[in-house]
Formats: sequence, structure tokens, C-alpha cells
Amino acid sequence: MFSANVARKAVLSVCRASLRPAVSTVIARGYRGDAPEPAVIEIPLPPWQDRTGESLDIKRKRLLYESRKRGMLENCILLSLFAKQYLNTMSELQLKQYDRLINEPSNDWDIYYWATEAKPTPDVYQGEVMDMLKEFAKNKDMEQRLDAPNLEYLDKSN
Amino acid sequence: MAAVCAASRLLGRKIVSSKALPAVCQASNRKLHFSIYGKKGDAKVSDGISTQYPVVDHEFDAVVVGAGGAGLRAAFGLSEAGFNTACVTKLFPTRSHTVAAQGGINAALGNMEEDDWRWHFYDTVKGSDWLGDQDAIHYMTEQAPAAVVELENFGMPFSRTEEGRIYQRAFGGQSLKFGKGGQAHRCCCVADRTGHSLLHTLYGRSLRYDTSYFVEYFALDLLMEDGECKGVIALCMEDGSIHRFRAKNTVIATGGYGRTYFSCTSAHTSTGDGNAMVTRAGLPCQDLEFVQFHPTGIYGAGCLITEGCRGEGGILINSEGERFMERYAPNAKDLASRDVVSRSMTIEIREGRGVGPDKDHVYLQLHHLPPQQLAARLPGISETAMIFAGVDVTKEPIPVLPTVHYNMGGIPTNYKGQVITHENGEDMVVPGLYACGEAGCASVHGANRLGANSLLDLVVFGRACALTIADTNTPGEKLSPLKPNAGEASVANLDKIRFANGSTRTSEIRLNMQKTMQNHAAVFRTGDVLKEGCEKMDSVYKSLDDIKTFDRGIVWNTDLVETLELQNLMLNAVQTIVAAEARKESRGAHAREDFKDRVDEYDYSKPLQGQEKKPFEQHWRKHTMSYVDPKTGKVTLEYRPVIDNSLNAEECAAIPPAIRSY
Repeated sequence: MFSANVARKAVLSVCRASLRPAVSTVIARGYRGDAPEPAVIEIPLPPWQDRTGESLDIKRKRLLYESRKRGMLENCILLSLFAKQYLNTMSELQLKQYDRLINEPSNDWDIYYWATEAKPTPDVYQGEVMDMLKEFAKNKDMEQRLDAPNLEYLDKSN
Repeated sequence: MAAVCAASRLLGRKIVSSKALPAVCQASNRKLHFSIYGKKGDAKVSDGISTQYPVVDHEFDAVVVGAGGAGLRAAFGLSEAGFNTACVTKLFPTRSHTVAAQGGINAALGNMEEDDWRWHFYDTVKGSDWLGDQDAIHYMTEQAPAAVVELENFGMPFSRTEEGRIYQRAFGGQSLKFGKGGQAHRCCCVADRTGHSLLHTLYGRSLRYDTSYFVEYFALDLLMEDGECKGVIALCMEDGSIHRFRAKNTVIATGGYGRTYFSCTSAHTSTGDGNAMVTRAGLPCQDLEFVQFHPTGIYGAGCLITEGCRGEGGILINSEGERFMERYAPNAKDLASRDVVSRSMTIEIREGRGVGPDKDHVYLQLHHLPPQQLAARLPGISETAMIFAGVDVTKEPIPVLPTVHYNMGGIPTNYKGQVITHENGEDMVVPGLYACGEAGCASVHGANRLGANSLLDLVVFGRACALTIADTNTPGEKLSPLKPNAGEASVANLDKIRFANGSTRTSEIRLNMQKTMQNHAAVFRTGDVLKEGCEKMDSVYKSLDDIKTFDRGIVWNTDLVETLELQNLMLNAVQTIVAAEARKESRGAHAREDFKDRVDEYDYSKPLQGQEKKPFEQHWRKHTMSYVDPKTGKVTLEYRPVIDNSLNAEECAAIPPAIRSY
């Protein structure tokens, strides 16, 4: 307990010291918004790697699983409907783009914000597939999007 | 013929014939390939179960199932303490459902006003409607400030005030001075991405300590022998191999089971896998009838509008434009506890003051707040409201409805995170098994969870499991022997599901279950409706015997995984509805129209003097322990008393039950 209090005071005083010179930007720093991302040392995660030696069929099956199982409901619905429409007809290059798009970003919300154009898409994810996703999110055909689709559309015996 | 083929598949002998065979031939010609992240330990291939499903055995000091907030905290704590730890997860860690959490973590840091963790303790005990175990709540609320500071030290970028202290916002059910000092501001957040930040920070940290992650492995069952848990058996989705993770300590952190309902705020991954594994092992689950309905889920899709909206000033209005929460909760108003708000909304709808063409929901109004505040503090709301409800939050109110959001119940544990059963009036620890997070039931949330207490629950009890294991074990201990065919039944089930050719599809059975639960075990529950629901659930359960799957492969077979998840959901659903039917009172999130009051051992609305204490069998201030026979779906219920004393009466006085009003 004692050391936790000391540690806490030390951390707080460091924070206060580092913020003191930049008083005018502190308010913007506190909240996500138009302010640039604060210079926080975010722990780097291991870089995403493209899987080698995977046939296109297997890649499609894997991406189907990874589209349907997301961190929050909004992405589950959006990406599984997107996968239903486009996954089986994507070319190899498009599959690679899609793979990177749904597997590399660490925050699932970011994919949602890019698709809905609430935030600008980083350059590395720009491309054909991102454009397809943005169009899809607009829902020009006004279809009801209340839930993720069942898998039956893949059943070849249907 | 099919049965013979199935038997031969399991025994490894080939029979020359029909169409079923090509899938088998492919399996046996495939080269065994598995990738283990982290330590390449003592993984060896075993013939003990079946040669058609290559089985790989691993040995670890501890295995954690689930890589959300609780799982990562446990895995990280164990690795840091020097234990060789495996973390088995069906999703990449940063994609666990924790990432959806936007609210924050409660802790009595006292940055916005004077605060005391004992007030937080009081709020949590009251919020649980006196069904929470006060020793676990004492542990959690006392550890909260230290837990938040620890996260800050790990690098989690909390939102800050102008002075550089952690910004704390108001949240439902949090008060000062034991409910007498007004609204407390103790929810710490990272803008609106607290969940993501927590996962990112913990995952990054745990990698420094060489935790072995087995990502996209679906845990099938626990390996139990003589009442002791000796590990987990899992399916590797990448190549269809079976893996047995032998360990002296298993931690279950698999999350909740919102997907048993038709409309819920949970991702499609919330399928109660851990609860089902425990049930199949013959162990009880606790308090499953307590399902929290979040007041503001978007009408239709069910996507969540965070309580933070109401914390920042949003209000709920009915068809008359009235801020109706002022009537139901004069002090807390829209920030009353979630079950109070959900019930109030349901009453408004049933009394005819709902909005929309069917008058079946209410509105959440945000357009009276300054747009910069909305943009800065609650940015995600605008997108969700536009895409799933077609609403511009700066101009129109959002249509909302109480939606299934959280499961207070789960695997029963003590305050140290050890899984317990209740025998002969005493809590008995199950050796080798721990649970934390939404999957566990310590029980800190009791009959109703307060907002922003869940992320706190994850880190405190994830850490508690790691500490308890570190206290009672040493790294590198030799494992007790395991039967060579342990886990055989799980593989047989997997095989049966993979080749199932009945008459009802997975999606149909799932929809039947979800609709039954939605119609019969929702916010307001009545005896006949619940009874009818129990009978319907029973027949839906039995329809699993006649299930039909279509994907016969073993690599990335989503149909198979979703069917296994359905089996897990079904076990959770039957326990939920049967326990709800049996509990004849209203408490917390369990609201019954035919039994509107709480039934405690005393009537706490009157002075206690002169009252006779009701015997255990005649009151309902007790935990439900439910068991299921997986073959028939029959549920048996037992009960266990609530722990009413805190860990240390001098440091923190226990709160005696009282009438709960806000």
C-alpha cells in the first residue's frame, strides 16, 4: 500500500511536470477529438504478417471466420454482411488488402470509423477494398441491417 | 452405414466405401502443422484419443482460456510471476469483446471531489440489491484505486483534467457519503475507447513476459479427473488439430452469453463457452437468471448507446416529451441504476407512452447538449445512431429500448478467484480451476451491475487469480498424470457435429432459442410466461439432437464453430430460464410482475424489532446454483447463502440490507 501511494504521487508529479509547459493544449489532449493524438508511449505490438503458403480457398474461409467474429456488434453486422456480398468473388490482391484491413488495426472501432468515414482512412489501408467497404456502409439500397446473416448462403447443396 | 463410418473414423481403421470417405482420406494425408507463439515447449503428438484427429499435448504451469481484459490480466500476472503460461483464445486478443467497452473504470481516486472507496463499496452493495458477496465487493472496491494507478503505470493513456490528473466522470449508481452526498464522479476513462486501451496495454505488456498465445483455438472442454481440473482441450482452427493443454491451474475468462437472446448489445462472440465447459464438467453455474438489460440499446439492431451519454447530460423522454426518470428516481433521475431505468422504460411503454409507430420504445435525447461536447466526449455515438437508426444526434433523439447487455451470473468463485461448489452447507474449492471477468461470479455484481464496475471487475479479479495461483504453486511443478484418452468425449462430439445430417439447420435452432428467450425471459417476467418458456426451451434443446450442418471440412470451419457455440449457448439458456422461473421475487435485474417485491429473511421496509427471521428455504436472498444434464437438458437447482461480512469489519463495515431506492 505504502509503495503504491509513493508510486502514484511520483507518476502524478511527472505527469504534471510534463504538462506544465503546454497548458493551452492540455484541454484538447484530454479528449479524443480534433486534437492530434498525444505523444503517449503506446506499447508497440508485434507487426502484422501476411500468411504465406495459404491457398486462396483457405484464405477465404479464414477471412469469413475473421469477418464474423469481431470485437463489437457494429463490426460483426457490417463485416459479415460485407463478406457475404464480396468475399467469394474477391481477387487475390483484394483478399490481401481485406486481410490486412481487418487483422492489422488493433482497435476494432477504427475500422468502423474508417468505413463510415467518421475518421480519415490511413494511407496504408486505402485501396479498392476500403472503397468497396465505404460504399457498402452507406447502404444506398437501404436494406435492413439488423443482424449478421446466417451461413446458409455458403451451403452448396441449397 | 453412417454410424459404422463414424465409429471407424474414431478408431482409426479405414473402411473402403462411400462418399463419406474422401473427407477422412484428406484428413489423414494432411501434414501435421501447428504454430505456437512464444515458447516452443514440450508439445508432443499423442495417439491417445484418435488418429484421425491429430492430438498435440502441451504442458504448462497455467492455462488461461480467453484473452479479453480479465484473461489478459491473469495471463500477464502469471507470466510476470514466472509461470509458464498459455493463453488459449478463439479471437485475436485485441478483438475480444472488451474492446467494445466505452464507459470506463470506477475507482475512488478522489480527483474530482473528495472520495472514499467505502462509498464505492456501499454503492456496489446497494446496486447488487444485497445479493453480492460483501467480501468480494470489499476486495474489489478497496483495490480499485491501486488497480487504476497500476494501469496508468503500464502506459494506459487515461483522459486527464486540466491539472493533469485522471479525469473522472459521473456514472449511474455512484454516490458520495453512502448515498447522501449526491452524484459521485469516479469513472476513469480513455476518451471513449477504454476497453481497447486496456486490451492493447495488457497484451503489449504480457508479450514482454513471454506468454504463449494460442490464437484462433476454440476451447472445447475442461480436462477433469477426480474432481480436479487438469487442463483444457481445444481445436486449432487453422489446421483442425486437437490440442490438450495440461496445466495444474486453469483460469476461465471467456466472457458472457448475450447471444442467447434475439436482441443484445453483445458481439457474436459472446457465447458462454466457459460457463458451458463448467456445466459439462458437472459443476454449477451461479445466478444465471440475472441478466442485465441496458436501458439504451438502439431499437432494432441492438447496438449499445453508452451510459456515458447520460453521464454527460443526455435524458430519456417518452411520447409526451416528458423526462420520465424524474418520477421513478427523483434523486438520480437518468443516472439511476440500470435495472431501475430499464424497468421504468418498460413501464412507460406498457402504459402507452412509448414512441414510434408501434409505441414500443422511447427516445434518448442528446441534441440539447453543445455539439463540441458531443464530438469530444462521445464521438462514436453519432456514427452508430446514423448507421443503425438513421438519426442525426445533433438534431433528433435516438430510438432506444432495454437490450440484453451483461450477465451478472457465471461460474461461482470466492473473492480469490477460485471456483467453488457448495456442499453440506460449505463452500468447497475445486482444485486447479479459477474464473474471472464476466464468466466468473465472485459475486461482486449480485443481482445488478453498476456501469463501469465491469472493467474494474476484469482487472481486479484477473489479477486476483494470478496472485492466488502464485501464492499456492511454484513454477515448473511436475504435473499429475492424465489418462491417455482424456478429452475423448469432446472429440467425439466435435466429430458428430461436423458430420451432422439431421433435419434442422444450426441457424434455425439458434433463432428458435433466441426468440424463446426474448419472448419469455425479458425485462418483465411472469410465472405462466416463464413456465411456457421453460417447456419451449426444453424442446429447442432436444432439437439439437437432430441438427444439420453443411461444412464437412476441418480447416476454418465456421459452421462447425458456430454449432459448437450454439451447444454452449443452449446450456446457458436453459439454466437462465429455469432459474428465473424458480425465483419467486423481484430483485435487481430479475423483475417479476407476479412477485413484485424482494423476499428477504426479514422485511426490511419495517423495523426489524419483533420480526422473526425466515428460514433459508423461505426467502430468496440467496445465490442460485444450477446444474444441467447435457444429454437431456434437465436443469437442477440448489441454493447457497450470500456472504454478508466484509473482509475486515474494522476497515470496512458491512452494509446490512435495506430498501433500495434512488
